[in-house]
Amino acid sequence: MVMMSRRLVLVAAAAVLSLSLVRPALTADASTDPKAFVGRLADQALQTMLVKGLSDQERTQKFRELFVAAVDMPEISRFVLGRYWRSASAEQQQEFIRLFEDILVYTWAPRFKDYAVSINHEVVTVTPDGERGVLVESLVKRERQDPIKLMWRLRQPDGGYKVVDLAVANTWMAFTYRQEYGSVVSNQGGRIDGLLDAMRRKIAQLQADPNSARMN
Amino acid sequence: MSSFPIRRYSLRLAAPLFALALAAGCATPPPADDAEAMADFVQVNDPFEPLNRDIFEFNQAVDRALLKPVAKGYREYVPQYGRERVRDFLQNLRSPLVFANDVLQGDPDRAMQTLMRFAFNTGFGIGGLFDVAQEGGITPHEEDFGQTLAVWGVGEGPYIVLPIMGPSNPRDTTGLVVEWVVDPVNYRLDRAGYEWAVWTRAGMTGIEKREKYLDVLDEVERQSIDYYAAVRSLYRQRRAAEVTNGKDIDKIPDTGLSSVGTTAIGLR
Repeated sequence: MVMMSRRLVLVAAAAVLSLSLVRPALTADASTDPKAFVGRLADQALQTMLVKGLSDQERTQKFRELFVAAVDMPEISRFVLGRYWRSASAEQQQEFIRLFEDILVYTWAPRFKDYAVSINHEVVTVTPDGERGVLVESLVKRERQDPIKLMWRLRQPDGGYKVVDLAVANTWMAFTYRQEYGSVVSNQGGRIDGLLDAMRRKIAQLQADPNSARMN
Repeated sequence: MSSFPIRRYSLRLAAPLFALALAAGCATPPPADDAEAMADFVQVNDPFEPLNRDIFEFNQAVDRALLKPVAKGYREYVPQYGRERVRDFLQNLRSPLVFANDVLQGDPDRAMQTLMRFAFNTGFGIGGLFDVAQEGGITPHEEDFGQTLAVWGVGEGPYIVLPIMGPSNPRDTTGLVVEWVVDPVNYRLDRAGYEWAVWTRAGMTGIEKREKYLDVLDEVERQSIDYYAAVRSLYRQRRAAEVTNGKDIDKIPDTGLSSVGTTAIGLR
């Protein structure tokens, strides 16, 4: 653990240093600088997972707080449900956002824990994306393995940045969910309640056995 | 004499049976006046969905019974060092094909990289067992004939699931078949009478590939509600990115800022 925290300090120091070198005139404000936003978000997520003496539940809770603050859930939910969003009632929409948040948290929290063992996250480029968006490319560097390329799609709904999609190794998360969940609803004859039921079952399964995929 | 009419008969039957299977396996398109539903149907690009799902299910059964256990055993019993040698060796055997595809795609820089890698690794890397070129700074890359066809402007066609081989489309299937036929390594082995080597290579390639995807596929299956649909989406996105060599992936989907799915998103 001493090694890890030392590495984290180094990574953080390097991140701060590189930021100050690249943009000497700007303060690295996470609400206006997309690079700082992504860098800080990844650092916080990793640190959350490295804190000692927390139960898995507490870690997941910390991850959820970070996630909710950084991700534009209503926007992603609208995108994922697509044309079914409008045919859904307000209650169904709220329920979908709530369940989808659970699925994402239970899917990603254990993953971040895995990454945290030996990684180092580095923002590579920032490019504009539409009028109010930016794309931030970053690399997750691992020991003895190829780096994983991440692409963050950010929007500024009201001032600060929020994540609306994330590509891991060239596949977009929200887009994949859109195609998967769209298929579920359409196979349920367009019934959104059918999807919500399936999501509840999936959440129960993820909660009951968060490591199932890696254990067997 | 007796087998002749049967063969002729079966040949005459094959085409209509195939057509029937396709028709039975066709997804019902949404009504033409529902523009949004139609846009989604086109975007998903899976007109043979029911048939594809059946084959997918069959593949999963084979995977659970055979491929996955073999891949797990390979990971468990062969040390990482050994697996890396196998991976490097198989990758080196693909170099002539990768080189040809680099050339056909009009990419002389990458063709040169592949050529250098093949020379270094076959020589200094002891027949390709060691990827010495990578340590020397020439990183490996993959190309296949499906990607070459895409670069030439051939569309992917509808999504199809091949038995055992898994997710594909007519373009990538053509690529697979062409490479299987023209692969110079296989051709030489075949001519020299080492047919077993061709099949061993194919089998090892399959096991190596399945081992590589063990964790990722488990993870996708664990988190998805509709595994088939998730794999379909991931496959098509990955192929699109491979065609462009990872460039322009930002152009693929766009959340369209709450346009609530009115924009059809083309995956090319």
